[in-house]
Amino acid sequence: MMTDPTVPEYKIRIENFSIRYSDGVESLRGISLDLYACQINVLFGPAGGGKSTLLRALNRLNDLVDVEEQSGRVLLDGVDISAAGVDVVALRRRVGMVFARPVPLPMTIRQNLFYGPQLAGMRAASSLERLLEQSLRQAALWDEVKDRLDEPAVALSGGQQQRLCLARTLMLEPEVILLDEPTSGLDPISTAKVESSLQELKGRYTIAVIPHSVQQAARVADWAAFFLQGELIEHGPGTALFTNPQDERTEDYVTGRFG
Amino acid sequence: MIRLSRQATQRIAFWLISLIAGLVIASILLIVGLVIVQGSGAIGWEFATGFPREGMKEGGILPAIVGTLLLTIGTAIFSVPIGVGAAVYLAEYSEDNALTRTIRIAIINLAGIPSVVYGLFGLGLFVLFLKFGTSILAGSLTLGIMTLPVIISTSEQALRAVPHSFRVVSVSLGATHWQTIRRIVLPQALPGVLTGVILGLERAAGETAPILFTVAAFFLPRLPQSVFDQTMALPYHLFVISTQVPGMPIRIQYGTALVLLAFVLSMNLIATLIRRHYRERRQW
Repeated sequence: MMTDPTVPEYKIRIENFSIRYSDGVESLRGISLDLYACQINVLFGPAGGGKSTLLRALNRLNDLVDVEEQSGRVLLDGVDISAAGVDVVALRRRVGMVFARPVPLPMTIRQNLFYGPQLAGMRAASSLERLLEQSLRQAALWDEVKDRLDEPAVALSGGQQQRLCLARTLMLEPEVILLDEPTSGLDPISTAKVESSLQELKGRYTIAVIPHSVQQAARVADWAAFFLQGELIEHGPGTALFTNPQDERTEDYVTGRFG
Repeated sequence: MIRLSRQATQRIAFWLISLIAGLVIASILLIVGLVIVQGSGAIGWEFATGFPREGMKEGGILPAIVGTLLLTIGTAIFSVPIGVGAAVYLAEYSEDNALTRTIRIAIINLAGIPSVVYGLFGLGLFVLFLKFGTSILAGSLTLGIMTLPVIISTSEQALRAVPHSFRVVSVSLGATHWQTIRRIVLPQALPGVLTGVILGLERAAGETAPILFTVAAFFLPRLPQSVFDQTMALPYHLFVISTQVPGMPIRIQYGTALVLLAFVLSMNLIATLIRRHYRERRQW
């Protein structure tokens, strides 16, 4: 794979990364994987495969849970972000995240969107408002909420809430966007909107997404990585991996023989 | 033995439970009703704004009202920052280890200590050892320590009730742990914290034993001038005029009880209103 001349430039390089939680569960074993800039990188596989854990290693949200042991390196632009001295707050502004269940903070739509940039020190109303419109447009939500920005965010529908969460992440002007099953609770129309947003966003961001189904994985993947029980089984261009998987287990999963 | 049908058993059980509930409500109504009927005759402008006269058999109870107000404020000044701070530590920062388990056991035990023991403790530490004398300062500190367990445990519960997902989202948006606490967790926990604070202060306002040795005065001809002065207080005044002064008119006794009851119940009402106001506005 790595010798393929069509391989794009990587943004994140994961080197021999293992992690084990304090309850003894080994979540990831010896993962080496590149995530490419300006691509939709899909991490897929059955539940419990360690995809979420890997995603949360990229913005250090694993710091919030009890990690017993961790080894290997995670390089963002060549700098190890898994090390102890890393400024995790700055890292999380560069690596934004959208969660499976939309969680609007208990405030208005506008306050939700301003939360991140204001904490980062952005004060000027004009820049905040400009960023707000741009982020909402990118998340395909602008037309629906532009007249109700001061309403509580929970008043939005589930699909709108999830696009708000995407916009809120975009407000950080991140370099990488992580999405952990972002459409798992959404209807097909909202799902399509989120997917098409991702297609537009990938020109400027590195996107890593855990899809909620194999079908979605095949639809959105530029590159796909198949995880099974804490191990990376196969990694390759989406078209190749879904039409002609090299590993038997990948083939079994993709064709629906298990999972 | 007579065997009853299940339906009959159920009817009897319902009847018994209703009876017990009715007894509880009836006793509350009886107490409040008695105090109102017997005491309302004493209530008036002079009673609320005057000093006791004629060996406390005439006049008003202003110094006791002011004293209880000052002691409640003093208690809040000491117990709210420390109590809420301790709750934030326990809910947000502490890990589950021997130290925090000890702290929790200590808090539970503090809540179970009889109030007269707090009074003796206050006498020993604040009045004598720290040489504050019998003073508002010593009384407020004593009441403050007594109130801490209530404030800590209710505040900790309120903080823990804020959904974990808010914290994860806030941190993922580049907030530090402290920014998350200050901007998300504390505002959301505020109604629960306030309820706990008010319930704690309410208990402090009604207690006699902790102020007995630390601040309360039998009779003072003037209002306290500084935190190192003694003061009269409603619960202690009620105790005094009910047991220590022969020939007290009953309406003065019940009038004092009515004022104390109104003070405590209005705090209760405020707590209820705050809770309701925030529950309607809550967004999760």
